[in-house]
Amino acid sequence: MTTKRMDLSAMKKAVRRSDAKLPGTLIILFQVSAMLLLTFRTNPIDQQALLLAFAMPLTTILITKAFTSFWKIDRIVLHMVLFLCSVSVVTLTAIARSSVTPMNQVIFIGAGVVAMAAGVIFIRALRHWRRWTIPLMGLSLILIALPIFIGDWKYGAKNWIEIGSGDNTLLSLQPSEFVKVMLLIVLASCLSARQSKLQTMAAVVFGAALCMILLVERDLGALVLYFLATMILYFLATSNVLITAAGLGAGAAGAVGAYYLFDYVRQRVAIWQNPWIDPDDKGYQIIQALIAIGSGGWSGMGLGLGHPRNIPLYHSDFIYAAICEEFGFVFALLLLAVYAIIVMKGISIAMSARNRFHALLAFGVVTMLGLQTLLIVGGNIRLIPLTGVVLPFVASGGSSMVSSMGAIGLLLGISSINADADAEDILRAEWQEGNPV
Amino acid sequence: MKELRRNMRMVGVLLLCLFLGMGGWFGWSAYTQGTRWMSSGNNTRLNSARKDVTMGTITDRSGLTLAYSDINGERCYAADADVRWAMAQTVGDTLSMSGTGVETMHAGILLGFSGSIIDRTWQWLSGEETRGDDIRLTVDAELSAYIADQFPEGYNGAVALVNYQTGEILAMVSMPSYEPYKAGSRDVAESAYLNRCLQGKYTPGSVFKIVTMAAALENKTGVTQRIYTCEGSRLYGDVAVTCAGDTEHGDLTMQEAFTKSCNVTFAALSYELGGTEMIRQSEAFGFNDNFTFPDLVLYESSYPKDIGSIAELAWSGVGQARVLVTPLHMAMIAGCIGNGGVMMQPLLIDQVTGSTGIPRLRASGGVYAKPVSESTARTIGQYMKAAVEDGTGSRAAIDGYTVCGKTGSAEISNDKSVETHAWFVGYLEEKEHPYAIAVVVEQGGSGGDKAARLAGKALKKAIELVD
Repeated sequence: MTTKRMDLSAMKKAVRRSDAKLPGTLIILFQVSAMLLLTFRTNPIDQQALLLAFAMPLTTILITKAFTSFWKIDRIVLHMVLFLCSVSVVTLTAIARSSVTPMNQVIFIGAGVVAMAAGVIFIRALRHWRRWTIPLMGLSLILIALPIFIGDWKYGAKNWIEIGSGDNTLLSLQPSEFVKVMLLIVLASCLSARQSKLQTMAAVVFGAALCMILLVERDLGALVLYFLATMILYFLATSNVLITAAGLGAGAAGAVGAYYLFDYVRQRVAIWQNPWIDPDDKGYQIIQALIAIGSGGWSGMGLGLGHPRNIPLYHSDFIYAAICEEFGFVFALLLLAVYAIIVMKGISIAMSARNRFHALLAFGVVTMLGLQTLLIVGGNIRLIPLTGVVLPFVASGGSSMVSSMGAIGLLLGISSINADADAEDILRAEWQEGNPV
Repeated sequence: MKELRRNMRMVGVLLLCLFLGMGGWFGWSAYTQGTRWMSSGNNTRLNSARKDVTMGTITDRSGLTLAYSDINGERCYAADADVRWAMAQTVGDTLSMSGTGVETMHAGILLGFSGSIIDRTWQWLSGEETRGDDIRLTVDAELSAYIADQFPEGYNGAVALVNYQTGEILAMVSMPSYEPYKAGSRDVAESAYLNRCLQGKYTPGSVFKIVTMAAALENKTGVTQRIYTCEGSRLYGDVAVTCAGDTEHGDLTMQEAFTKSCNVTFAALSYELGGTEMIRQSEAFGFNDNFTFPDLVLYESSYPKDIGSIAELAWSGVGQARVLVTPLHMAMIAGCIGNGGVMMQPLLIDQVTGSTGIPRLRASGGVYAKPVSESTARTIGQYMKAAVEDGTGSRAAIDGYTVCGKTGSAEISNDKSVETHAWFVGYLEEKEHPYAIAVVVEQGGSGGDKAARLAGKALKKAIELVD
């Protein structure tokens, strides 16, 4: 009897522990102080920043209230994501050339929140995930191949599609961002069928097919992410070290092969190895990034006081370097820690999931997120060659924001399913305690 | 499920390690290279900051002004022309012609980029003009001027003088020098901008025997008891290693071989130790290390990693072949022997002061490496003492003080058509004057002559001047 009672209280405690209020307050403090600082930076005052100084905390409270009152989601993950979004809006307000960029980002975040809610609803409603596998596979293959036929080359890759043309472009999308989420669902669904060799093979073949198409489009960043996510999920589900090692080996061989086959890969590596050889042309971007990081120092130049605009693509690919300059190196490291917390929190959600599909999906979401962060931050600080992925939730851009938020929605949905299951367990235990058999 | 959870835990830990690793790498590279990135010539922020920020003042260790900005924002240098001349490459100039100069390398500090929040708030509150931070260097301007004055007329070269207990650089002179006000003009030869102490990669010649000796003492027992017979030359393959001036030293104790600088003996030692051991010991002394000292840019010294023949191995033991070293690094090596086998990280910046007048906390230099044991250092120290008392380095001796040293005459051509570079490295044994020195006079002939004489004078002056 006594052991049972302890179990029960521990369970209740665990449920309550995830209900922390402090992070939310701190995020609001960050939003208000940063935005007010930016408001009075210019003369006349920046009205958009002033508006955001009030709008951002309100939205944050609203989103938190809405999500937590509908579902028992993991608050920490939600707060961390909202914090990253705030960093995004604050940074873009401070560094962008016009006020349109941060406003667009606000709209993207809005769309992202909708996607996040959709993700939660979708995963909670999804009962027969096997049935979705084949249609999702087809859809993602079509989507990912679309840019080959109707896309344009942009920054050395052909991974964008534009709706409308020229100045009348209504919307430009990066399909690989959305397919990323689909890939995770397909992989989790196929690999959750433990017994079926056929399904596990299908998952691997599907991942490989996507990688091939990405190679044609020269979207190296997405290629690396897709490949690693496939291999990791395959290993998790099958524990097959041999095949995983073989797959990773094949990937490494492919990377070496690509180095010798494709000029653009060789060039990327050469720039990474020694950017200082050509500081005004090929190495310009990475050198300006390093200079920005160095200029920021420990505590940064101050919001809006740096010159990160010297770095080409400062608002997307190199936003991490820009953050280093504005906020300083300590803040940038803490930002990395925020990503690590999301990843760790996600893994703990995956660990407490009640079935293999949810576990694999939750793990896949944060693995993808974590790897993407490592890839782009590593590229910004010249730890690895630069690949064209963006910093999740922070870099400006709609496709990435919506898809990443959607993926987090799936994770939050799984956390709420776990919480519901825990609550059921507690009820059952209480019932048993009250009515011993 | 159980297996899945185990796998997830494994991959999760791996992911976390990747995050930690990247954070660590980022921290390390930003800490060691951040200033270098910022002071890059491609940084347009510095140029725009120079327009609206009053640059800080640079002084030497005794407070003598080396560079300052006047009321109009013009950059001015030391009042004394001799000091300007002696310190030119160390201090730098407005055009960054001397790229390793403090004016360029630490422009971030001088322009207040790395200024603390306290300083910035103070400036904002007091309504003071925006002013960068002041730097006090570890070097002594008067000592540097004296060394530059005493440097053999008409020769090029470098002198590095350090405190081997703290790592502070007390003098850094590179000849030829230039007048900082004339930087960029046609009157100044391109090579004058080079700080030879930091950027000059020289063949060390016999001064490298300190390293070979250390390798032997660390690896073989009873080396000190050995007797060598020198017949003036010895063949390795079809290449002969010869002693300077084709001298035949005859029977030598280890100490005599060192003090008389017998090439045949040291080539034999290097050959006996083998490439791996020679590489290990020289790398322990800092060869092949891409130095990342926060205060200064020191070019890499190199010991060949891919020794091609036994002749090359033998010659590398006497500091020839492809062995290259910078004068400051050589002074650090000599100082390491004087400091009981502990090599200190070189320091150039003594103090940084912001507008509040409160000195900024700086990480102390600390130990760079411990390449040899204390007993090895003591033995080599004895040999170096003997080399000055009764050997090739006798001209470096100072009355009343104990100078320990090693001379070198580095061959820079294969056919002896060009005079050798004259080297002297050494240190003072007295712990109240822990100074180590490296002198190189390009094409100055034998190291025992011009180089040793200058080293003696410089050390004597250092005893007088530096507190």
